[in-house]
Amino acid sequence: MLTKIAGGDIIDPVNGRSGKGDLWIRDEEIVEPPSGGKADKIFDASGCVVMAGAIDIHSHIGGGNVNTARLLLPEQHAAHLPRPSATPLSNAGWSTFETGCLYAKMGFTTVVEPAMNPGATLHTHLELADIPIIDKATLAILGNDDFLLSLIRDGASEQMIDDYVAWTVGTTRALGVKVINAGAAAAFKENVRNFSLDDVVPSYGVSSRNIVKTLQASVGRLGVPHPLHVHCNNLGVAGAADTAAATIAAAEGRPLHLAHLQFYGYGKEGKRGFSSEAARLAELVNATPEVTIDIGQVMFGQTVTVSSDVMRQFSARGSAHPKKWVIWDGDGNGGGIVPYRYREDFYGTLQWAIGLELFLLITDPWRVFFTTDHPNGAPFTAYPKLFELLMRRDARAAMAEGLSKPAMALSTLSSIDREYTFDEIAIMTRAAPAKLLGLKDRGHLGAGALADVAVYRRGEDIAKMLGSAALVFKNGDLVVQDGAVTHYRWGKALRLNPTPDKAIVKRLEDFHQSRYGLSLDWFSFPDSAIARENPFAEVA
Amino acid sequence: MAVAWIGNREAQLQDAAGETAKLLQSSRCPVFSFDTDVHGTRAAIALAERVGAAYDHIDGAVLAHETALFTDRGGMTVAPGEARRRADVVVVVGELPKAYGRFLLELAATKPDLPVAGERAFFSVGDVTPALDGKREATPLVCEGQGLAATLAALRGRCAGRQVSAPVKNFEKFAAALAKARYPVFFYSGQSAAALALEMLQGLISDLNATGRASGLLLPASEGGWGAALASGWMTGFPPRTGFGRGFPEHDPWRFDVARMIADGEADCHVWISDDPQRRPPKATNGCALIACVRTDGPVAGAAVTIGIGQAGLDHDGVVYSAQVGTLIAVDGSSRSDSVAAADILRAIAAGVEAEAALPC
Repeated sequence: MLTKIAGGDIIDPVNGRSGKGDLWIRDEEIVEPPSGGKADKIFDASGCVVMAGAIDIHSHIGGGNVNTARLLLPEQHAAHLPRPSATPLSNAGWSTFETGCLYAKMGFTTVVEPAMNPGATLHTHLELADIPIIDKATLAILGNDDFLLSLIRDGASEQMIDDYVAWTVGTTRALGVKVINAGAAAAFKENVRNFSLDDVVPSYGVSSRNIVKTLQASVGRLGVPHPLHVHCNNLGVAGAADTAAATIAAAEGRPLHLAHLQFYGYGKEGKRGFSSEAARLAELVNATPEVTIDIGQVMFGQTVTVSSDVMRQFSARGSAHPKKWVIWDGDGNGGGIVPYRYREDFYGTLQWAIGLELFLLITDPWRVFFTTDHPNGAPFTAYPKLFELLMRRDARAAMAEGLSKPAMALSTLSSIDREYTFDEIAIMTRAAPAKLLGLKDRGHLGAGALADVAVYRRGEDIAKMLGSAALVFKNGDLVVQDGAVTHYRWGKALRLNPTPDKAIVKRLEDFHQSRYGLSLDWFSFPDSAIARENPFAEVA
Repeated sequence: MAVAWIGNREAQLQDAAGETAKLLQSSRCPVFSFDTDVHGTRAAIALAERVGAAYDHIDGAVLAHETALFTDRGGMTVAPGEARRRADVVVVVGELPKAYGRFLLELAATKPDLPVAGERAFFSVGDVTPALDGKREATPLVCEGQGLAATLAALRGRCAGRQVSAPVKNFEKFAAALAKARYPVFFYSGQSAAALALEMLQGLISDLNATGRASGLLLPASEGGWGAALASGWMTGFPPRTGFGRGFPEHDPWRFDVARMIADGEADCHVWISDDPQRRPPKATNGCALIACVRTDGPVAGAAVTIGIGQAGLDHDGVVYSAQVGTLIAVDGSSRSDSVAAADILRAIAAGVEAEAALPC
């Protein structure tokens, strides 16, 4: 099947294309224009922007904590309309099916669930497999688990640490490793309520910094393409910018990714003791080329915070809206679910402004990533509006008009003129995520790339334009037309597959038998357990 | 050997599936009850959507106690492995399902090893004392003549330093154990503790966490029920007792209580699915046609259609919830047979129902 997307404005920074042209797709791949080739199907893209399918590197779309949030908030996600006949369960509020459809409508074709509990891997992958259309990937959480903390405490060799990290990535079918408030969940189980980068986990004598550095080094030695994905200590705390700055400094020349930096952009200035440190953090990021970050932008309205940072979530339970929450202690991180409404008050305004400041003051779009930390800063359905705020200074000014003036006075946002261009959007949401995750087959429109393509009809209304794609192709298959999903197809979970070391498997088997009274087999599963054809794709 | 029957007559599997599809299509209010593995549950929910049915778990009454704790209040929980390693005070709340007797024995036979090796103390709340290893007994915390919720309320009051009208027997011993404890864990299920009791328990746990640590371990009254709640959650956003009658999922624990819907004459076609050979469907009553998908070698009396299915983990592979692991696990078919999996027969039934779209699973 040869398809031609004709006459669109092609934006493909990786291959240096920017201008009117045609894009050719043969079956699942983008191909060079065939000489004398005749397309089986032609789509007119005149007046449209054509980009690769977008990639979201940090969005909590599946797994135990997400599902607990669903159970906790039935009143927040009721469906309102009968389902479209072509897409079963696609109108079920916050279902896996709705998730895939809503992402696809915006032209997103790959999404990373960044916090998979290694002890509940099958559950996570079952949920992800029920998300239609898009490809998925996961990051496995390490850094609060007894096994790793014991290895570090006991001075285990680099080889042994690497074997454990590789085993975890392989058995959980993950694409990378994440550490969440390193050591804090373990410390919280011993009634510690605050935990910073140089604090030590009781009973282990291991500092948070040591855990981060150990995992950063191991991920590097193993050749995992995605750098260690770090959720820093002290999320949401006034003064957290110091923690973020210290963590950025701790990168020490090696790649490190800091998640949802907005939640650390807080200083202690002003009469409320809460101020913007975005400019300082942006400057640090700009000066530290080995560091990448995603934002975790706040947008206003009701959401639910879902995090494996159990200590932070416990401390936030008093602000739950509505007044209910779940905190659970897991074998490693555990998690917390705290519903929250971002209000247009002083604090909400400042959070909103800090996120935008970071977006706009970090100069390299290859190192700043477009996220709301769904659903923590806002549901991903807020993306179209967020694109507009980044691309239109007047839209920012108009929105700021209705917000807290004292908060805006503490932010540099109103003085920033920058507007993201389509080229920069294409880098930030396509090319850079693919590079960061090691996905060579996507994020660009060059010959040989997977035919994940988003076509947007140009218009003054950026939110409308980027929120409702004119055409979306996934693996060359047309899945969205005029903003509506036309049918389901089933994506894959992208994974690494390092060979497990036999000695570490034996050691882990002994550990699980002696400590949990359970065989290691209970935590593994065959691909067939997912009950979909080829549910995983290995990233070379 | 026959595996399907229309009435009492043997039938081909595809004919039984087709007959079921016809009954569902002509039904004005179909309802589903199930107790099967996660893939059977997924297929049942997909079929329920296609025919506009309401669905419930067969153990829906006790499952509703547990899901209500999440939908209405939330709380603090701990993974079972972490409970095993950290619980220095074990409090058994009410009567736990018998299936967890072994877990309690294991707790009695082991010591917590995190943060340091120590001993466990055992308490029970309510009139039922759990069986331990014979060497020790759980100390009962009882308010004479009071139910579980009232006893938990009194216990919570005493822990908060308040006066209570009904004394809690052995409270001083409990208070002394809590004062030394580093990680007390309350073990509970929806079997004997209804929603209000569970809410009071979570209030107590929350209070204890104001200054120290404590948590609760949910040991679901029905492991299959909890697995169904998880799958239902990600597919529709809601736990069981959800209906598709208006073309989209709606959750209402009273309205979509399938047993009530049948008893009140609302339902006219009941699909009952269980791969547990110990379970048998209720008699067809109130003019409600029964379609029984069960592990059987003969027709179910009174059923319009009977379809024999296999058991996940025995006849075929499957995915089930394990309370001991605290999540979904894969189970291998230990004694594989030709019996059809619930998921497969439900998909076959769905194939006979007119629809524009392919099934979502």
